[in-house]
Amino acid sequence: MSDRTTLDRKSKIREFIIQKLLNGRSVADDENLLLSGLVDSLGVFDLVAFLEKTFELTIPLDEVVLEHFSSIDTISAYVASKQAG
Amino acid sequence: MDGVQYIDEIVRVWARETPDAVAFKFAEEALTYHALDDAADRLAKMLIEGGVRPGDRVGVYVDKSLDTAIAIYGIMRTGAAYVPMDPGAPEERLVQIAAACGLKAIVSQERKAAGYRAVIAAAPDLACVLGADGAVLWATDVPQNRGAPRARRTDDPAYIVFTSGSTGTPKGITHTHETGLAYVRMSVDLYGVTQEDRLSNHSPLHFDMSTFDMFSGPYAGATTVIISEMHMKLPASLAQLIEQERLTIWYSVPHALIQLVERGAIENRDFSALRWVIFGGEPMLPDQLRAFGLHTPNARFSNSFGPAEVNQCSYKHLDLADIDGTPISIGTPCAHADLVILDGDERADEGELFVATPAMMVGYWNDPERNAQAFRVIDGRRHYLTGDLVRRDSAGELHFLGRADRQVKVRGFRVELDEIELLMSRHDDVSEAAAVVIGNPARIAAYITARPGATPDTADLRAFAAQALPPQAVPTILSILPEFKRTATGKIDRKHLAEVYDV
Repeated sequence: MSDRTTLDRKSKIREFIIQKLLNGRSVADDENLLLSGLVDSLGVFDLVAFLEKTFELTIPLDEVVLEHFSSIDTISAYVASKQAG
Repeated sequence: MDGVQYIDEIVRVWARETPDAVAFKFAEEALTYHALDDAADRLAKMLIEGGVRPGDRVGVYVDKSLDTAIAIYGIMRTGAAYVPMDPGAPEERLVQIAAACGLKAIVSQERKAAGYRAVIAAAPDLACVLGADGAVLWATDVPQNRGAPRARRTDDPAYIVFTSGSTGTPKGITHTHETGLAYVRMSVDLYGVTQEDRLSNHSPLHFDMSTFDMFSGPYAGATTVIISEMHMKLPASLAQLIEQERLTIWYSVPHALIQLVERGAIENRDFSALRWVIFGGEPMLPDQLRAFGLHTPNARFSNSFGPAEVNQCSYKHLDLADIDGTPISIGTPCAHADLVILDGDERADEGELFVATPAMMVGYWNDPERNAQAFRVIDGRRHYLTGDLVRRDSAGELHFLGRADRQVKVRGFRVELDEIELLMSRHDDVSEAAAVVIGNPARIAAYITARPGATPDTADLRAFAAQALPPQAVPTILSILPEFKRTATGKIDRKHLAEVYDV
């Protein structure tokens, strides 16, 4: 997979999180998104729906876990692994 | 433990008895009773150097972690009261709480600097901000010549929990070492908590339910597992944690259990260690509890009832077989509680609930006006007016009917909003329901969220409501929401519903 694909994927995810879930507050790619005052539990489910639609994935409940959803970096890597699989 | 007079002494006792036993766990980190005792002493010493004295108030502004435990025990050890500050609250709210109780110091974390700096700028009494390790994050230039600390007293406030008052100014529910320990002793006894137990700490510190996890667990010498904010937002990770930590006692708001059922992927989880599943804060939906109970082979269930002002005052224990879809009662009074039902001035089997217990708050902080209205002397004893409507059945069990202020009149008829919610939540397509009154003339609006995979239809929901409710109680407005906005403590934010969807 090219770097360009990775960049595109990550920027789509970043844009959704910053615009839709954080009201424009900036956040680093490796920053924990789930600490207090950032993405709430409703936001997590919006995010899952966004990923499923944008990247044409099915995300089972048991994969909506910390390892995959704690930062923009981990979300992007998770989406990449789903697309590869 | 019978001789313990101060909540923080609990840790001192176990530090001597079982120094290497784990008092608190957070992710991969563990804090033994010995380590907690040491850390609390160190923090207390630094707070006293920073100007804190018995009777003062000290804020706890930390993300959930082992710092939470060190902060509260360290603060109490100085003779001051700890005041939880929601780590996710807007700065305005933090400033409001600091002003309402005149915070002398705050225990915080460097990453929370934006929040505590806002308080520093607005709170002239504040002397210092420390880390849980005692590190000075900020200190005032104003000399703190406060002399030697006076001796502490058991009737000094131990903690003050602020709730958002309906009129805007926060209400500070004030508990002393005496009232706190009265609750701890009752709850340890009621649930038979022992050294072998592993408790969940799901509730954030600014929610009074956390006192069971933070005090009652340590009182028994047990281990309390502090659950991160991340886990609280990811039910599948939370389910994994319950299994891996082999939790034996679970205590949370119903919402957390519902989330586990609906999104926790719990089918293949091993919850066999759980022996108590306790819930409180708002009514639990029986069908959802049953769905959870199918995965906990060794657990009993307990509905813990009581407003934060009195701590827990009644309970209903259930086995899986008892959960048959009918509403779960709030049971019978706890051993230490006197419950009185009044209809007007008369004792009755249905009416408003008044409670007296040694675990009752001493009052709202610095709020004589509210305190004058909060209590009523019945048979020579001060009772707290809960504002809850209850009914006592022929077997002596209490049933929650709703809040007195949720009993509304529509076209002259008395309507219970909570009854509407319970009915709507029993529809097969419905996950949760909330009913509010909007507009003038008053109309009933009901909002629901769908169960995963279900696609509810408003016409069908309306027909369902009309079948069971008197005409005046059938919601005029019925609307399906993707999710409910929650209060800081995880309850459905009904005030928000009434404001946002008012038409």
